Amino acid sequence: MTQQKLHFIVIDDSKLDCFIAEKIIRNTGMSESIRSFVDAKEALEHIKNNQATDATIKTILIVDIQMPVMNGFEFVEAFEQLPEEIQKDYTIYVLSSSINESDLNRVRNYKSVKHFLNKPLTSNTLSALVELV
Amino acid sequence: MSKQERIKILYVDDEINNLHGFKASFRLDYNVFIANNTVEAADILNNHPDIRVIFCDQRMPDKTGVEFFGEIRGQHPHPVRMLLTGYTDIESVIDAINMGHIFRYIKKPWTDADIRSAVDEGNKFYLANSMLAIKNEELQKAYNELDKFAYSVTHDMRGPLLSILGAVDVAQNIDDIGEIREMLGLMELSVKKLDNFIQNIHDYYNLKRGDLQITDIDFNKVITDQEDIYRITAKMNNIDFKTDVQQNEPFRCDEMSMKVILNNLLSNAFKYQKKNNSDKFVHLNVSIDKGLAHIQVKDNGIGIHENHIGEIFNMFFRATSEEVGSGFGLYNVKDALLKLNGEIKVDSVIDGGTTFSVTIPSK
Repeated sequence: MTQQKLHFIVIDDSKLDCFIAEKIIRNTGMSESIRSFVDAKEALEHIKNNQATDATIKTILIVDIQMPVMNGFEFVEAFEQLPEEIQKDYTIYVLSSSINESDLNRVRNYKSVKHFLNKPLTSNTLSALVELV
Repeated sequence: MSKQERIKILYVDDEINNLHGFKASFRLDYNVFIANNTVEAADILNNHPDIRVIFCDQRMPDKTGVEFFGEIRGQHPHPVRMLLTGYTDIESVIDAINMGHIFRYIKKPWTDADIRSAVDEGNKFYLANSMLAIKNEELQKAYNELDKFAYSVTHDMRGPLLSILGAVDVAQNIDDIGEIREMLGLMELSVKKLDNFIQNIHDYYNLKRGDLQITDIDFNKVITDQEDIYRITAKMNNIDFKTDVQQNEPFRCDEMSMKVILNNLLSNAFKYQKKNNSDKFVHLNVSIDKGLAHIQVKDNGIGIHENHIGEIFNMFFRATSEEVGSGFGLYNVKDALLKLNGEIKVDSVIDGGTTFSVTIPSK
């Protein structure tokens, strides 16, 4: 399989979850780069200010829902306000421990969100996800 | 019944003589309002929403008593409605009772004993209803909190568990002992977070459901206990922890609530420090003056953004992702203070530090 490499950005207020995600992503061997943020606001600033130099490489965003200051929903809403040429370089996956129906429905209604993933992130889920991109 | 506590009653009748007779008979026992017509009566009700019992004559020129009660019922559902009427109106009385417009009727001419017993019964009914309304409100609040609670349990209790589960999965493929150690450290944080959350739930239920147990509080002892708890944290993180207690009079309070307040304020002060600051401090001052306890917890940590100050006492609110927090601590503090009739003030400057000032009256 000639899969192209990808950029990854992980947004989760739990440092352990960021760490786990980084490890799993690295193990897939599919990553061109990995960044993690415990604060969604910082991640949004980063995305605004660092337009991909090489637009041929897509960036996968893995976002937690329940976070202080800016939660996953607020992040996605803010992301959808960004210019189209920035948005098109990203694919968003929402990752959460939530088993709340209304959360799941809310996630489904965002056009920029590709999929909802359950915590914990595993290498199997990630491999499947990478093939989908 | 003392003069201030006299219950308010209103009598509406188009015959002035009846009004004056009524007032003369009952003004010593009740706080009597009289109205000559229904417009005046509605005005009085608007100005005195705490009127408990209304007597109204059935036959009045502008409208009947039943019509009047039907009209005011929507806006003033609480006062108990009594109709005064002769036997000839019995049909309309039956209708009115069946439609729920009136509580009972009193036949004309009334006797003092009729009115007194009616006020008595009406007042009992009024109190029972008010009690019910208060209980309903409390119940609604409890339901709302339960909803929030059930929602957060999936995140705050499952979250740390799933993190650990994920870490265990990843660790199985790691050989580097350094990396394993790093992960163990993060797993420890997750376990602590879960444990902290469970302890907070414990506090929450103790505060909500437990009755206050008022005892004499020796602040020197209470603060020494807190010092014992935080001495190690202070030393490990190089934080200067100073306490000062000025107690020259007895102070009575619920010790459990007091501990919840102190413990949460102190743990926040220690937690939200600036990592690279070389002179970190937490100062706790307690002074008792004229039956009031003044407690001040001051730190020079990261501070709270002014936009968030209004929200920090809300359940599950967290103003920062800097440290692990449950969003439960300050909610419990506020809850405890509510029970103790205490107050809390926050002064905070981003990057400058935070000071919580608590005042609690002795019981």
